[in-house]
Amino acid sequence: MKDNWSDIIFIIVITCVLVIVANLLSYGGKLSDNLLGSAIIGAITLLGLFIARLPLLNKLPVVFWVSLTAVILSIPGVPGSEWIVEQTKHINFLPITTPILAYAGLALGKEIDGFKKLSWRIIPVCLAVAAGSFICATLMAELMLHVEGIF
Amino acid sequence: MDLIKNWRIHFFALLLVIVAEKIGIQKFGLIVFLPLFYALLFGGIISFPKFKLLSDSNMARAGQFMPIAMLVLMVKIGLGIGPNLHMLMHSGLALIMQEFGHFFGTLLFGLPVALLVKMKREAIGACYSIDREPNVAIIAEKFGIFSPEGRGVMGMYICGTLFGALWVSILAGIIAKLGIFHPYALAMGAGIGSASMMAASMGSIIAAHPEEAQKIQAYAGAANLMTTVVGVYFALFISLPVTIKVYEFITGNKSSKTSAATEVLNHER
Repeated sequence: MKDNWSDIIFIIVITCVLVIVANLLSYGGKLSDNLLGSAIIGAITLLGLFIARLPLLNKLPVVFWVSLTAVILSIPGVPGSEWIVEQTKHINFLPITTPILAYAGLALGKEIDGFKKLSWRIIPVCLAVAAGSFICATLMAELMLHVEGIF
Repeated sequence: MDLIKNWRIHFFALLLVIVAEKIGIQKFGLIVFLPLFYALLFGGIISFPKFKLLSDSNMARAGQFMPIAMLVLMVKIGLGIGPNLHMLMHSGLALIMQEFGHFFGTLLFGLPVALLVKMKREAIGACYSIDREPNVAIIAEKFGIFSPEGRGVMGMYICGTLFGALWVSILAGIIAKLGIFHPYALAMGAGIGSASMMAASMGSIIAAHPEEAQKIQAYAGAANLMTTVVGVYFALFISLPVTIKVYEFITGNKSSKTSAATEVLNHER
């Protein structure tokens, strides 16, 4: 990601528009609610990106700073957090994933040449590695949540 | 401008979103198909080089789009963490310990399979982590991308990009439906540290437990945040050295026992 702010803003706007389309088609709701919710999420993304580019802070991944910005702005007691959480509730999690994975899909074609050169062996290994990460973490979490008496 | 130059990409993206959301969530027994699944699958088909619907630069542009669009999702997930901060603090130990599951699960499940299909040192690169961009960078720096370890990590990277999200979406859906694990534990399991894999697995878990959607998002988001922050350091200083040690111990770079056994097996073929 380069420091091309107009391009970053363009990408965020397009994403937010597609999110509104997805959210309206799956969950419905008023267009004005969707517009506002999506705009707030987009604005926080931009703010997070800006913070992530500050000197010193840019040593940690962008994802971390963007997430942290959103976390802080949603903590009860932080000025405006109640309003932000209330307005962004209109935008659901799943409709945000659809446009992102649409773009991920549209970029897959360039991986196919590389994939053809691979041995078939990588496929079972890949499936096992991904399954291992998910299953083992779930197992550890299950055990520890019991220990901590969460359920 | 981009909109004029790459209009095809955005047109197809809009089309994919509409089609995917129109199909909606479909359940077949234990398997749940989500709109993100169709968007990825149909998008992949559209981008297939044979169809010539997209140019290489179109696809490269779509690839540039992804990381920034993903941040929008991270914001949504982050906004679910604040209101649940109190609850998350109470499960601090679980959040820390599940990271070990993420980091060693790849080795625990991956290495046996890699050795079974007779992978050599490629197995180290392929199994030491979930092999997303920062992990590829670590191997590239230590061994070079054209070394056996480099081939392993690149193979996993490409394969994970192609199938990772689809696979964990199905897997997480099935495991969630089996009802062995609590949705909160599953949610932490979804914090894999690859954004698309997290989104896909979290989606399936929410589809199986819609009543817990808010808390699932908070737990998965918190777990993913931890994986993102400590992931690179853990991979560099713990996962990679441990994987190398385990690989060398099992395959017997030091003892010739296992290599002799493989030779016998090869001979029998």
